[in-house]
Amino acid sequence: MELQYFLILAAALFCIGIYGLVTSRNAIRVLMSIELLLNSVNLNLMAFANFLDPQGIRGQVFAVFVITIAAAEAAVGLAIVLSIYRNRDTVDMEQFNLLRW
Amino acid sequence: MPHFFADTAWFIPCYPLVGMVLSIAWFPSMIRRTGPRPAGYVNAITTFFALIHGLLALPAVLHQPAQYLYLPWLQVAGLDLTLPVEVSALTIGAAILVTSLNLIAQIYAIGYLEMDWGWARFYALLALFEAGMCALVLSNSLFFSYMVLEILTLGTYLLIGVWFNQSLVVTGARDAFLTKRVGDLFLLMGVLAIYPLAGTWDYNELAEWAQTANLDPTLATWVGLALMAGPMGKCAQFPLHLWLDEAMEGPIPSTILRNSVVVATGAWVLVKLEPVLALSPVVMNTTMVIGALTAIGGTLIAIAQIDIKRSLSYLVSAYMGIVFIAVGSQQTEAALLIVFTHALAMATLVASSGSIILNCITQDLTQLGGLWSRRPITGLSFVVGAIGLAALPPLGSFWAMLKLADGLWQIRPWLVGLLLVINGLVAFSVTRTFGRIFAGNPQQMTERSPEPLWAIILPMAVLAGFTLHVPMILQHFNLLPAWADLNKDVALLLTWSSLFGFSIGGVIYIGNYVSKPIQLPWKPLQDLFAYDFYTPKLYRSSVVGSVDVISRITDWVDRYFVDGIVNLIGLSSIFGGETLKYSNSGQSQFYVLTIAIGVIFLAVLMSWSFLTHL
Repeated sequence: MELQYFLILAAALFCIGIYGLVTSRNAIRVLMSIELLLNSVNLNLMAFANFLDPQGIRGQVFAVFVITIAAAEAAVGLAIVLSIYRNRDTVDMEQFNLLRW
Repeated sequence: MPHFFADTAWFIPCYPLVGMVLSIAWFPSMIRRTGPRPAGYVNAITTFFALIHGLLALPAVLHQPAQYLYLPWLQVAGLDLTLPVEVSALTIGAAILVTSLNLIAQIYAIGYLEMDWGWARFYALLALFEAGMCALVLSNSLFFSYMVLEILTLGTYLLIGVWFNQSLVVTGARDAFLTKRVGDLFLLMGVLAIYPLAGTWDYNELAEWAQTANLDPTLATWVGLALMAGPMGKCAQFPLHLWLDEAMEGPIPSTILRNSVVVATGAWVLVKLEPVLALSPVVMNTTMVIGALTAIGGTLIAIAQIDIKRSLSYLVSAYMGIVFIAVGSQQTEAALLIVFTHALAMATLVASSGSIILNCITQDLTQLGGLWSRRPITGLSFVVGAIGLAALPPLGSFWAMLKLADGLWQIRPWLVGLLLVINGLVAFSVTRTFGRIFAGNPQQMTERSPEPLWAIILPMAVLAGFTLHVPMILQHFNLLPAWADLNKDVALLLTWSSLFGFSIGGVIYIGNYVSKPIQLPWKPLQDLFAYDFYTPKLYRSSVVGSVDVISRITDWVDRYFVDGIVNLIGLSSIFGGETLKYSNSGQSQFYVLTIAIGVIFLAVLMSWSFLTHL
């Protein structure tokens, strides 16, 4: 088991998240993709803490913070999606293009 | 006392300038209630003062060497523009001629412009002319001559265009300005080109320089041709002669002045430049050829005109052509004599024809006739002018032409022959005009035709008197040849040529032997002369046409090419903004995508060296 594999897995997860973030038409799936991004970051933090800083494990502390913030952000995100849904009766991202040119 | 007046001779042009400024007060928009007549009186008075000044200065300069006054004008680095004023018998005499003719023309205009409101403008312009011509004859510098010539060109434009509500006046004024301007601009080229060569514009110094100048013949030819082209336009010489024909749209009093003296301003400059022109034989020959062509063409055209004023104006061109011949054969004295005698005779003729036109309305020679018994003074003046113009002894032009022919006799005998032909044609032309106006039966337009007001008759009669006195004036100043030196062959030939012209004209147009209007056997030839060799068409197809086409092309290039390039830049910016705004798609996912692509791009860029060594 080496550090690189963890990092590559995290990067792959990040890319999948980005892909989902850019291509999803459902707003909820966009939020889910953001969660994927945050989890890939957490994987990075955990891997670095394990291999490079086993004594201080500051990465794990960071990861706890990230999970906490991610939960709060997901809550706010869902609230925003709900409030848009109440006005427009849809969660299709392609319908939310009023602020263009 | 005469010395005081001679020393202040430069003041002569200032009197008419004062009159010019004062006449502004009587513009219809300034003094609205009492009419414009005082403008004429004021100008006549200032002209009279100028004339008196000249006459008082004359005794001091007679039989004296020329004196020079220097009026500083502008000194800038390396260029000293001081106005040299020459006070000599010649210049004062010329100023007297100008002021006296102007006084006569102004008194004539008091009668002629009786029914006209534009006195202030008209008299102000006459005064400008008088001032300009006096300044021209007094200044002894090519540069200042050029300046004055340009001012006179502008004056011509304004004076021809006095009655600007007539369309022919507007086109005539335009042509007069542009044609003379072209000549003036050539003159300016010459003026500018001669300064590096001679280092001076002073006529005397130019003459001295020309005596010893060792100049490249080609250069001398070009400079000389440019210097000649100015007077060529001024003197209405071929091919720059159309303007004088169209200038006949202006009022008669100004025509008196123009035909007698204004066109002679070019001749004056030409005479003064003779030493410089003589540097190149090509220039002298060109001058002679142009003069000869104009003289012969002008007389032929004059014979074929049906308009009184135009038939006289082409004779002016012809006489200026003779002056060109005189200068081209280096006979400046003869040239000045011709200018003098022609001025008085031609002024008499124009004044007399104006007196006819004022009462008969028409200027058409074919509609006039039978006026001799009822217009005796006008008729006699016309006869005096006619005899004074053609070379018939003992009147003035005979002596001037004799001097010229005498000089030509030795060097170019064939030119004497040409001169005789021209003289005969001139005599024929004036006799024809006389015959059509005064002989024959009265026609509808001349049924009732009284002699006009004294203000027209008096100046006309005075002019006729001056014309009759020309030989005595010449004798007084010792300008007549002694009986022993007289070239009697030439004198006889000249007399005979005039007699031929007069008698043939008399037989045809005064006698009743030929039916009128006369048709030449070959109609196109008659039309060719009557329409002035179709000069307007010639201008339109050559110079005017090409300038017109080129200016249209230039306008097109400017409008579509130059402007187009600049507009294209603006348009492409607008196009860029209009199209690039669609990158703001409103899709936040698209923004995320651009951020991601930007990050990847930057990451690749920053780790490029690392990636290449991988």
